[in-house]
Amino acid sequence: MRFRFLCFLIVLVSSVSSPVRGQGVQNKVPSGVILIKGAWSSASDSVTPVPEGGSVANDLFSDQYFGITYPLPPGWAEKYKGPPPSDSGRYVLAQLSPGEASRGFDRASISIAAQDMFFTPVPAANPTELINYMRDHLQADYKVEVPPRQIKMADRSFTLFGYWSPVAQLHWYVVAIQIRCHTVQIVLTNSDTKLLEGLMQGMNKMKLPSQASSTGGAGGGAVPVCIKDFARDENMIARVNPVFNEHRFNPVPVRIIIDKEGKVKHIHFLSAFTDQAKAITDALGQWRFKPYRRDGQPFEVETGILFGRPPPPTAPLATVNRRF
Amino acid sequence: MIKTKPASLLAVAAVIAGLALAQTSANFGGPNDPGAQSANRGTGVTIINPANDPNGFTAFFQDGLDRFQEIETVSNSANVGLGPRFNSNQCSSCHAQPAIGGSGVAVNPQFRFVQNGVAPSNTMPSFITANGPTREARFPFFFNSNGGVNTSAPNGGVEDLFTVTGRPDAGTCNLAQPNFAEAEAANNVIFRIPTPVFGAGLIENLDDSTLLKNQAANLQNNFGIAGTFNRNGNDGTITRFGWKAQNKSLHIFAGEAYNVEMGISNELFPQDRPLPEEDQLGTGLPANCMNLGGIGYPEDTSNPNLTPNAAVLDDVSAFANFMRFLAPPPTGGVVLNGVPVSAQSISTGKSVFSSIGCATCHNPSPGTTQVSDFVPALSNAPVPAFSDLEIHNMGTGLADNVSQGSAGGDQFRTAPLWGLGQRIFLLHDGRTTNLVNAIQAHASHGSEATNVVQNFFNLSPNLHQDVLNFLRSL
Repeated sequence: MRFRFLCFLIVLVSSVSSPVRGQGVQNKVPSGVILIKGAWSSASDSVTPVPEGGSVANDLFSDQYFGITYPLPPGWAEKYKGPPPSDSGRYVLAQLSPGEASRGFDRASISIAAQDMFFTPVPAANPTELINYMRDHLQADYKVEVPPRQIKMADRSFTLFGYWSPVAQLHWYVVAIQIRCHTVQIVLTNSDTKLLEGLMQGMNKMKLPSQASSTGGAGGGAVPVCIKDFARDENMIARVNPVFNEHRFNPVPVRIIIDKEGKVKHIHFLSAFTDQAKAITDALGQWRFKPYRRDGQPFEVETGILFGRPPPPTAPLATVNRRF
Repeated sequence: MIKTKPASLLAVAAVIAGLALAQTSANFGGPNDPGAQSANRGTGVTIINPANDPNGFTAFFQDGLDRFQEIETVSNSANVGLGPRFNSNQCSSCHAQPAIGGSGVAVNPQFRFVQNGVAPSNTMPSFITANGPTREARFPFFFNSNGGVNTSAPNGGVEDLFTVTGRPDAGTCNLAQPNFAEAEAANNVIFRIPTPVFGAGLIENLDDSTLLKNQAANLQNNFGIAGTFNRNGNDGTITRFGWKAQNKSLHIFAGEAYNVEMGISNELFPQDRPLPEEDQLGTGLPANCMNLGGIGYPEDTSNPNLTPNAAVLDDVSAFANFMRFLAPPPTGGVVLNGVPVSAQSISTGKSVFSSIGCATCHNPSPGTTQVSDFVPALSNAPVPAFSDLEIHNMGTGLADNVSQGSAGGDQFRTAPLWGLGQRIFLLHDGRTTNLVNAIQAHASHGSEATNVVQNFFNLSPNLHQDVLNFLRSL
């Protein structure tokens, strides 16, 4: 009894005399963790999938937002996660490379990326146009190897484009498809085109949503319909501008999902400072849209809005020559 | 052409020559970093053509160069104002490799400060070593009074290494150094090395639209790279100097450094600077550590009564002119294991550097300058800086958890690579002297450079060597 009382006292004294260990008080700053962030991605809830929420686990890349699963080639892995989404709508979803034991592929990599077509600085409306733009602005370091063309892969239509660097002796194959108004690009890099073709064969095991295609991919069905610039006056009932307390100069690209009643049900900030995200969230909570209907049926809508400073100018039409 | 004074002792020159020997990466084992090149490439001269200097700025460059080498004291000399806290007592002691205006030298002058009387009653921090990088230190987060680190309280300001305590010219001022041992134990200290300022005038004279066009032209890449700009909080224009591109102009850059690194108040930063925690606690500096120079504030001002013209300027303006009129570092030949590498290897390395994506951030030139009202040499000039001047997410491996302007804890300005061939300590904190290790450090969780680093390591060994040879030619 006395022992238990002493234990109680010890616990009581410890809890009173110890400093309040509130959020952030630690004995050591954790290594390898970015605690102080600039403009970063965030969302109004942690349940609704976001593009950057994909991951590699058990030799499988999966991204719930895009509805993609891709079994990695044997021995491949993701060593490092990609950077946060950019303020121009660019994502790096996964960066894959062969492990030590993987023979023949030791000079290869696979990058799975996405470009939000609502915020692309390039004059392109779909993956085919984006790839054509890429071909038309290929730097002088590269030669076209496979002109853009449509291919079938994983039962879906992709746009394929191949180029190589004679001096680096590296080849790039880019396959692109549209999903939820994003161009999802898979970039395969290798010094041997036969191995690249082998990697592409392996991509037939990929699972993709039914709406994914090289010119379609506008959602609907189980996911919201994606509509560019939906937040126009003719679609709005009520709109409040965010009040920013701090004077900043970055573009803030935002994707929202509007429910069938016209209320904003989910907000995804591709790149925003915390204070910007709060101000925009407070404003969007008061927005009301006219419900979007097709054939009399209401649908959820996903759209993009750019707050803050406009993005950089569209890339010039002339080819950029980076030769020294 | 104006030449700088010889900056190094024979011992330093010998160390630098030794460093020109190949360094094989411990991680990589194959291609060799040729190392910092010791040949005199003519780095450190002025960009001004004396025959085409209608406004007479050549004299201002020379004056700035002279002042850059002055040794500052606390009191009782012509150059007072040092301290009460400082990292060095002379601009050129930190910025001297391979010439004045550069980065840190091989033998760290800070290491001798206790024994040579610059900081006599101080304790040398453990991270300052005889042959390690010249450094400043920052604590990313404040400490609580109980010693715990509060990661909800960002700090990030410079914690000066030394105080004037014990100096005969410092009166009764007695200040403790920051507790670096505690900070190291708490993993709450990061470092920065001096950033070289060769070619800085060209960088300063690039207008925003040029940089924005360059950014747009490089956004559509397949490497996962998408940088942004740091911006001036007052007018939103692009800032460009410092490891995080946090400073707008060379004037601000010089004024802040004079105040932060040497404790000298000036016309841009008119007060002596307490430590960040002294400011936070509301204590500031003690009264007996104020106005130690005895001349009032700010300690550096213009000099209306002096002649010639250049002498009228305050030191900060003189420093700004010096940096502004420094020529970009010339490229040069490369010696590997005592043998000159071929021009073909360097040329091939140049092309590969671009093909694999390095040049997406390390642009050979982001554009040409606007017309200059200073000197014709700064007008419509190319800027072969090998930098887009943007800030990029560099991942957990390089993150220092210090935000500056709109740059977060993992974002850094693309470091200009001109002059890389003669740099000893690499990356923002001088953690390595080996190029391959520096390249490897660009890849980590959350870095925009990971794919490009992968491309580099996917090259054949010959092409690896070509890229390294090219980099050491810069």
